[in-house]
Amino acid sequence: MAARGTARRGAGAGSARGPDPQEEPPPPLQAVLVADSFNRRFFPISKDRPRALLPMANVAMIDYTLEFLTATGVEETFVFCCWKSAEIKEHLQKSKWCRHTSPNTVRFVTSDLYRSLGDVLRDVDAKSLVRSDFILVTGDVVSNFNISKALEEHKLRRKMEKNVSVMTMIFKESSPGHHARCKEDDIVIAMDSATNRVLHYQRTQGLKRFRFPMSLFQNSIENVEVRHDLLDCHISICSPQVAELFTDNFDYQTRDDFVRGLLVNEEVLGNQIHMHVMTEEYGAHICNLLMYEAVCSDIIRRWVYPLTPEMNFSDDKNQSYTHSKHNIYRGVDVSLGHGSVLEENVLIGQGTVIGSNCSITNSVIGQNCRIGDKVTLDGAVLWDRVHIADNVEIHHSVICDEAEVKEKVKLKPRCVLSSQVVVGPGITLSEGTVISLHPPDEEEEDDDQFSDDSGVNKEESKVKLKGYNKKDVGSEGRGYLWKADDKNEEDEEEQRQSLWGPALHSEEESESDSDLSMGSEEPDSRAASPQLDDIKVFQNEVLGTLQRGEEENISCDNLVLEINSLKYAYNIGLKEMMQVLSKVILEFPLQQLDANLDSQNYFSALLPLLKNWTPLFKNYIKRASDHLNALCAIEEFFLEHDSLCTSIAKVLMTFYQLEILEEDVILNWFSLRDTSDKGKQLRKNQRLQKFIQWLEEAEEESSDGDQD
Amino acid sequence: MDLIRTEGQRMTAAQPSETTVGNMVRRVLKVIREEYGRLHGRSEESDQQESLHKLLTSGGLSEDFRTPYPSLRANVIEAINEMLIELEGTTDNIAMQALEHIHSNEVIMTIGYSRTVEAFLKEAARKRKFQVIVAECAPFCQGHEMAVRLSKENIETTVMSDAAIFAVMSRVNKVIIGTKTILANGALIAVSGTHTLALAAKHHSTPLIVCAPMFKLSPQFPNEEDSFHKFVSPQEVLPFTEGEILAKINVHCPVFDYVPPELITLFISNIGGNAPSYIYRLMSELYHPDDYEL
Repeated sequence: MAARGTARRGAGAGSARGPDPQEEPPPPLQAVLVADSFNRRFFPISKDRPRALLPMANVAMIDYTLEFLTATGVEETFVFCCWKSAEIKEHLQKSKWCRHTSPNTVRFVTSDLYRSLGDVLRDVDAKSLVRSDFILVTGDVVSNFNISKALEEHKLRRKMEKNVSVMTMIFKESSPGHHARCKEDDIVIAMDSATNRVLHYQRTQGLKRFRFPMSLFQNSIENVEVRHDLLDCHISICSPQVAELFTDNFDYQTRDDFVRGLLVNEEVLGNQIHMHVMTEEYGAHICNLLMYEAVCSDIIRRWVYPLTPEMNFSDDKNQSYTHSKHNIYRGVDVSLGHGSVLEENVLIGQGTVIGSNCSITNSVIGQNCRIGDKVTLDGAVLWDRVHIADNVEIHHSVICDEAEVKEKVKLKPRCVLSSQVVVGPGITLSEGTVISLHPPDEEEEDDDQFSDDSGVNKEESKVKLKGYNKKDVGSEGRGYLWKADDKNEEDEEEQRQSLWGPALHSEEESESDSDLSMGSEEPDSRAASPQLDDIKVFQNEVLGTLQRGEEENISCDNLVLEINSLKYAYNIGLKEMMQVLSKVILEFPLQQLDANLDSQNYFSALLPLLKNWTPLFKNYIKRASDHLNALCAIEEFFLEHDSLCTSIAKVLMTFYQLEILEEDVILNWFSLRDTSDKGKQLRKNQRLQKFIQWLEEAEEESSDGDQD
Repeated sequence: MDLIRTEGQRMTAAQPSETTVGNMVRRVLKVIREEYGRLHGRSEESDQQESLHKLLTSGGLSEDFRTPYPSLRANVIEAINEMLIELEGTTDNIAMQALEHIHSNEVIMTIGYSRTVEAFLKEAARKRKFQVIVAECAPFCQGHEMAVRLSKENIETTVMSDAAIFAVMSRVNKVIIGTKTILANGALIAVSGTHTLALAAKHHSTPLIVCAPMFKLSPQFPNEEDSFHKFVSPQEVLPFTEGEILAKINVHCPVFDYVPPELITLFISNIGGNAPSYIYRLMSELYHPDDYEL
């Protein structure tokens, strides 16, 4: 796993020279580069090499990220490392970033205790490393964005409304089927078009339907856009408050948690998240092997200009390529045998020897490789010092350092050969095979992923115990078939799914059927989802209370006390409480009867309960609005339980007789104009109508009586 | 000298298509050689190359550049300053020749945006009345900017797409273009679309005039066509948002075109007008043969 690096970038020396020249010079732009991704997505490849050092077109991923940051003008970068931090540190120290001429100072912060992005940011806060706005980025971002405009907007926003906007996320516009869109990372975002504020953020992974809270559309914002054509680049411009917020909330582990937490608590804390959409330039975040291949091919096809291979932006002597037609890049000292054809989109590293009659397309070959004769490489990614013997066919696979492929082997798409693996002659590896020198059952323990040293000893001892399975790796092979870890399975499945091309069509099925349109009947009381859960819990609690009350014959006063305390505990409003109470009481007999949903039985069961709990009702129903709420709740209940419709009149009669509800209110409710169709139908119920008539007559009599 | 040479190699390796960098390094090297030669006691006429007579008689002349001269440094710096002044004045020099080439009521065609051509046309517009047609030079469409600037000087300007170049060529009197680089054989590396323009001009026998200052002359021959090319992000041609199709196709966006010397009529530079076949001679005045290959 990549180590985390937090790079701080100082920035803004250029961009901040804006309105007020008399202000002190703006602090240098800082960046936090997290060089560890805290998941095991790239196992077993990343067991040998941290994710940030995986070569994309023969250049380590972290170099791309640092180049992007430096081009933006960042002056101080903090690289946070956890897994394999020594390797990352060594690599960076040899690179151009640590030379004294580098405009970007790289500082390392290493710790084995980090377990998530949250930990890193908490550390950032604890050490007060950040002085002003900083760029937060992970070590596996490849992009050529120019985010100076986004930076300026962010600063302006923070200046205008003092510190309300906490973070600006950078997205790239890209249509849903694009091969560089990672299926795992897909999001749906609702935003305010005028201010680019993020209103709702949801991962779409695997979902076919999406739910958006009504509050999204009900507030005063004019133009709400719901977008699915955005690619999350994992680049964020953060303010120092972000680190503080992470410290305050210990359960924020990832950026997603943070975003969701902020959006949910928006009213409370008043913090907002904004976004910036890039249309022109390229940006991507490598989260799985499929993305790795996609971005590799994009780099070769020059989408990430000027970070193209022949530019040699990492200033490494081994990396100078010449660029020829059809995107063929050849390093120094490459020798190509007779009859070999480099068709298109090929990158060959320095010192590689390719035999005769080979056919190579869409591939990346590292340095000092030896490739035999009659080899077909299509979509292959080979790292350094790989040996490939004659008559081999490799399709869409990744072969890591120093692996060896013997004669007549055929690798089907999406195979992975991890480093130093040998695959024996004459075998065919089926799709999605992963072979690694590390025995697979080792990796169950979580601790292993973070401590390098203990792993090594265990592996050595285990290797002596097990031999290599000849069926998997061939007669001369060395390596174990990596039994799909949970993550690797997902990797393969997703690769299969996306290679078979179903684009994300999640919106097709989001037409809500009328059966499921519960939302229309439940109005604003259920605005945001956390509250929904609360109400449900409250409902259960009330139910429990009433059950106990009935079994143990607790007096109504105590019940009232209990319900009151529950109400405060769950922060339920009076209106909702009323509804819940009525609903619970009306549903109570249903539980006892369960099979027999007959009106008569129901009513006879309900009657004694109502009588017992009259004081309860009377306590809560005092004002007219309470009556109305109760009636609405009753109406809803009966609409849900059609079979019991006939007893609605009796129930209402009972309520009336017990003086829980008054005639005026009932009549009022009955004559309510704006009810739904079902409500109208309910009202047409004969018995109900008779009851209402009786009520009216009764009222006239009593009002006559009063007048006298 | 070696120091300068290594630095020069490094700079040109960084961006091979910017040949001006290499040219300047070579000029400086030539200046150093000259100054050294002057101080070393040889007369100014001694061109170590070119004259056949000298080649036959002087045998192997080797400069060892070892003898230190205290005033060498000052002389070199002075010569470099002169060169800088000359560089600053190139555009004006070229513009001064405008009146001889542009006559009234002519239709002139150009492509893309070139500061040299802009100055050239503006200078001519002060005295003469003519029309300009600008080809927009997709995909970067710099022709638009050119047209805007020209029209500010009250020159009648028309913008058209590259596809219409051949169609309109019959009405054009002259074609004046700028270039990125002039190669040793008189060929051009110019913006993408110039070759089309040159071919159309040749077909209609319209003179093609190239306005370029001398620092763009590079002593390289077009051996490997690939080495001059610059392909940028295909974003301009087919934007990223197109989606799935991008995985199945190859999109290229070349920036430069190669125009062979047969299609060019005249080079106008700060030292006057020259035919393409004479370029090799000009090179000898600017660069020393040993420096051709940095």
